[in-house]
This record gives sequence, C-alpha cells and structure tokens, in this order.
Amino acid sequence: MADLAIRNLVKRYDKTEVLHGISLDVEDGEFVVFVGPSGCGKSTTLRLIAGLEDATGGEIAIGGRVVNNLEPKDRDIAMVFQNYAIYPHMTVRKNIGFGLRTAKMSKADKDARIDEVAGILGMTDLLARKPSQLSGGQRQRVAIGRAMVRDPAVFLFDEPLSNLDAQLRTQMRLEIKKLHQRVGNTIIFVTHDQVEAMTMADRIVIMRDGHIQQVGTPAEVYHKPANTFVARFIGAPSMNMLSGMVENGALRMASGATLDLGAGLPEGREITIGVRPEDLHPGDGPALVRGPVTVREPLGHETLIYVGAEGQEVIAKADGRTPPNVGEVVTLTAAVDTLHVFDAATGDALR
Amino acid sequence: MYRNLTIRQKQIVWAWAFLAIPILFYSVIRFYPTGNAILISFQDWNLLGDRTWTGFDNYQKLFGDPVFWKVFKNTFVYLLIGTPLSLIISFVIAYHLDQVRFMHGFLRMLYFLPFMTSAVAMAWVWRWFYQPVPVGLFNNALAGIGIPQFPFLQSTTWALPSVLAPAVWAGLGFQVIIFMAGLRAIPRSYYEAARIDGVSWWTVLWEITLPLLKPTIVFIVVFSSIGFLRIFDHVFNMTTNNPGGPLNSTKPLVLMIYETAFSAFDMGYAAAQTVVLFLVLLVVSLIQLRILRDS
Repeated sequence: MADLAIRNLVKRYDKTEVLHGISLDVEDGEFVVFVGPSGCGKSTTLRLIAGLEDATGGEIAIGGRVVNNLEPKDRDIAMVFQNYAIYPHMTVRKNIGFGLRTAKMSKADKDARIDEVAGILGMTDLLARKPSQLSGGQRQRVAIGRAMVRDPAVFLFDEPLSNLDAQLRTQMRLEIKKLHQRVGNTIIFVTHDQVEAMTMADRIVIMRDGHIQQVGTPAEVYHKPANTFVARFIGAPSMNMLSGMVENGALRMASGATLDLGAGLPEGREITIGVRPEDLHPGDGPALVRGPVTVREPLGHETLIYVGAEGQEVIAKADGRTPPNVGEVVTLTAAVDTLHVFDAATGDALR
Repeated sequence: MYRNLTIRQKQIVWAWAFLAIPILFYSVIRFYPTGNAILISFQDWNLLGDRTWTGFDNYQKLFGDPVFWKVFKNTFVYLLIGTPLSLIISFVIAYHLDQVRFMHGFLRMLYFLPFMTSAVAMAWVWRWFYQPVPVGLFNNALAGIGIPQFPFLQSTTWALPSVLAPAVWAGLGFQVIIFMAGLRAIPRSYYEAARIDGVSWWTVLWEITLPLLKPTIVFIVVFSSIGFLRIFDHVFNMTTNNPGGPLNSTKPLVLMIYETAFSAFDMGYAAAQTVVLFLVLLVVSLIQLRILRDS
C-alpha cells in the first residue's frame, strides 16, 4: 500500500503561516495534481511530503506510516525537480544510478536496474553521455529515470515541465501520463498550469493562499467548480462572471433579462453567474449580455468574440465562418443548465 | 568614408579604437620591458655603464650558483606548501561560513580584513609575534605554560614556515570570498536531490560539491600559485636585518632578483633570474590549467 494521507498540515515560516491546516487523502496509484497560482502553497506542500522541510503542525502518512520525523530517504519517495537537478559532471548512467547509491544491491543488480529504467525511458543509447550533450526533454527524462530507479511508493514532481518549450511540454506531459499508466506508482505533481493539471490528473487539488479550494476529477472541477476562484482558474479562456439578483424566485441579470433557474435560490441575494465562453454565444435566447463586439479572435473552427457590456468585457464563442463584425451589437445567450451560480459575497457555488 | 562602412566594419573600427589604448599601454609598460629584460639577460650591465654582450654567461653563472638553487628550492617550498594549505583552509572556512546565518556578514568581514591590510604592516606585526621573550607574543605564551623558546625566525628549518604563515593568512580572505561565491552558485536542488537519495555527507562533498566547484578551484590554485611564486614583501619585511636569512633559508627568487639588481647592480644577472622566474610561472600555470581544466 502506498496511499498518502495529509491531516491538518500547517507550515509557518517565523510568523507567516503559508499552509493553514490542509487535509487530503491520496489513494494508491493515483495521479494527483496540485495546481494554483504562485505562492498558493502547492510547492511547500510537496516539499513537506518529501521531507525537505519540517511541518509546523499536522501529520503526513505514506502507506499508513506517519513520516513527519523521518529523513527524506526513509520516506519511500522520489522527487523530480523543476531544474531537473541532474549533475552536469556525471554521465547519464551515473546520474540515474545516483538514486541507488545507498541501496543494498550488488553492482550487477544496480546496473541491470539502471538499464531497465533507461529502457523504459528510451534512453539506452544515451547512458554514456553527459547532461550537456542532451536536449531539454532528454534531461527531463534523466531526472525521471533517477526517481524511477528507486521504485518509490510515491513520485513527487515539482513543476517539472515549466522549463521546457510549449511543444516539448505537451510531449512530456503525454509521456509522464503513459509512464504512470505503465508503472502505476502514486504520483503527486505540482504545476501552475491548469492545462497540465486537467490533462494529466486523476484528481486535481486546487490551492490558493494556503487553503485547498477544491479536490476533484478534471471533469468535476471544470463542470462543478466549488467557487468563483476555481471557476476562473480552470479553463481557458476564463469563465465569464456576470452579476445578478434573485427576485421572486427568478434571476434578474444586470442586463435586464430574467432567467428562471428553478427553485432553491436565496431570495434577495446578490448572485454571480458564471458562464464559460464556449457556452456563451450570439443567439435568440434570454439575453445574458448585450453589447458591441470589441475584438475578434478567429481560431478557424470557431471565433472568440469579446463583447463590451456594463463596464466589463465578456468572451463568447461565435461561428468560425460567419462571425459578427467588430462594432456590431450582439445579444449573447447560453443554455440555462450551463450556468454556474455563485454567492456574490462569498464566491461559493450555490448550485 | 566611415559612413560607407557596413555595421560589421564599423564595429571593428570601434573595437580597434578602444583596444588601441590598452595595446599601447601594454606595449610600452609590459612588452617592451619584458623584451628588454630578455635582451639584458644576455648582457653585462651595472645600470650606468655600457651594456656589453656576454652571450649565455649570465645563465651559466646562474646554474652554477648554489645560492640560486637554494632560492629556487625555497620558491617551490613556498608554492608547494602555501597553495594546498591555503586552498584547504579557505575551502573549510568557506564551506562552514556558507552554512552559518548568525553574524554571517561580520564573520566574512573578519576573514576578508587581512586581505585589505598592507603586507608590510602585517609582516611587522607577525615579526613581533615571533620575537623571543620578553617581546614576542608566541614565545611569551609558550613561556607562560612552561614550554621552551621556539626559534621562529632564527632557525633555518622554521624560518620559512614562519614567514609563510602570515602570507597564507593574508590571502585567505580573498579565497574564502571566491569559494563562497562558487558554493552559492551550486543550485540548492542538487543538495535536495541528494538528500532524497539519502547519500552521505561525504558523498555529497566529494561527488557533488567539489566537482561543481572545479572552475573555482582552478582559479584559486592558479591565482595563489602565482602569488606564492612571487612572494617578496612578507619575506623582506620579516627578515630586514638579513634579507632572506638566516643563511638564505627564506630567500625566494624575487628577493634574489631584487638584491642582484639593486644591491649588487648586476642587471644582466638579475635579468637572467627574471627570465627563469617568468618561465617557471608560465610552465606552472600551464601545467595547472592543463591538469585541472578537463581531466
């Protein structure tokens, strides 16, 4: 068993508390991605799990064993760093083998293990090279190899793709996901890129200011965001936020339109309506927004239009072939079941 | 005419314009005297009279001179003890200072202070340390706990190490700063990765820190070797009554050159010694660069 449990984890630097008692359960073999803006505490959480920093409070358990007071090497984890942390003066073989330094294995067994890992990563031909002779993606693979060679219970990835160019990042993303499906170890992956989170994760943990905002599958966080922060953070372009008011059981938009969202909304409360650009389009339904098109972004199969209304700009999706012209006043509408309703004061989802 | 040049040609014109000044300076101040010294080494000249061509006489005299060989050996003793010793001490200090947060700046300043101090003043203070009872600090301390006098500057065996000690100490500050800069440049994640792999402190030092410090080590070794091969002011000031004494036991090559040139006024002979020193510096630096750069 290699499940991971975090209970009320607190981290404080002097007087500044950066993690405010977070709790999370990760199942054996799960691929969990921590995502959030910089300074949200995701990397700190990872470093606490790794044992590179001491927890101020709370408990971390790996495979049912509390590891708070164990050295990193005794926690049965391996970590891949943002700058790879592969040693420039060692060959690929030595770099990968570095993780086995303390292992009680014979030299032959170690070599066999290195060859096995190199085989999995497709690096057999590169074992004699130095890191300076490798491309960015290959260096990344060496770093992963060094983590893999120890066959840890939990893999920790600290923004490993952010130093790669866009194309390579997409490719490595796929490779890491395939690798996970093949070796099946538990993976904790930290990133600030929501696309990485969405594409790779079994479950996403969205963090902000040292708090967990939501934990869920990519589909859950996308379709049922817990609050306006998650709603805006996940998905690109971001979700549009419109203000409205509940009157007589129906929703009155700032634009004047009235929508019937069914029962269960608190009367007289100010509401924020979230609608994703792909759900918002010019049409004849109830007018959520009405205003002139300010910018068009043709993407081929569709066109994103920016519409100015009531002092803000919303993004909507229009047809790729016959989009409205810039300056044309359009009425934007969306199906009622695609709307997200948040409490304007707290930002929490109401339904 | 300048207008019609390509951008590349304009860059070259400007590069030469700026390079002209140092080139002129080096030609007049460095290369001309160097060439002249090599020329004088084949001549006999007392600084005032005529220069007479004597061929290899100066070199023959030099290689037959027992004082030269003594001095040659002394110079290498300064080099072979001074360089490794200062390298090790400065690394140990830098390595630990790097991990200290408490009064870090103050401690670093303390180590750097000797480097900024005048070598003459320092030599005289150390000379005072080394004096016999009741003047010298060290011998007073020894006498205080009942240990016999130690002949620091009087012994032909111990005078050289006694002169070397303040020279090593004087250079430490600079080397510590350079080492600390080198240590700081090693990414933290290298150490964190090693910590997760659970390797020992010793492995981290030998297989991560030191190999990654290699450029720093090369620089310090070459730099301090040149310094020890050219040692002069510490020796001269600590042994002024009898420069390089007792019995030439502390005399380095530069001091011999100085005496030959400005006490004996035998410029040709001094120039020959200078040429030998130049070749020694060149060969030692080249060998070090060769060995340490990429092995």
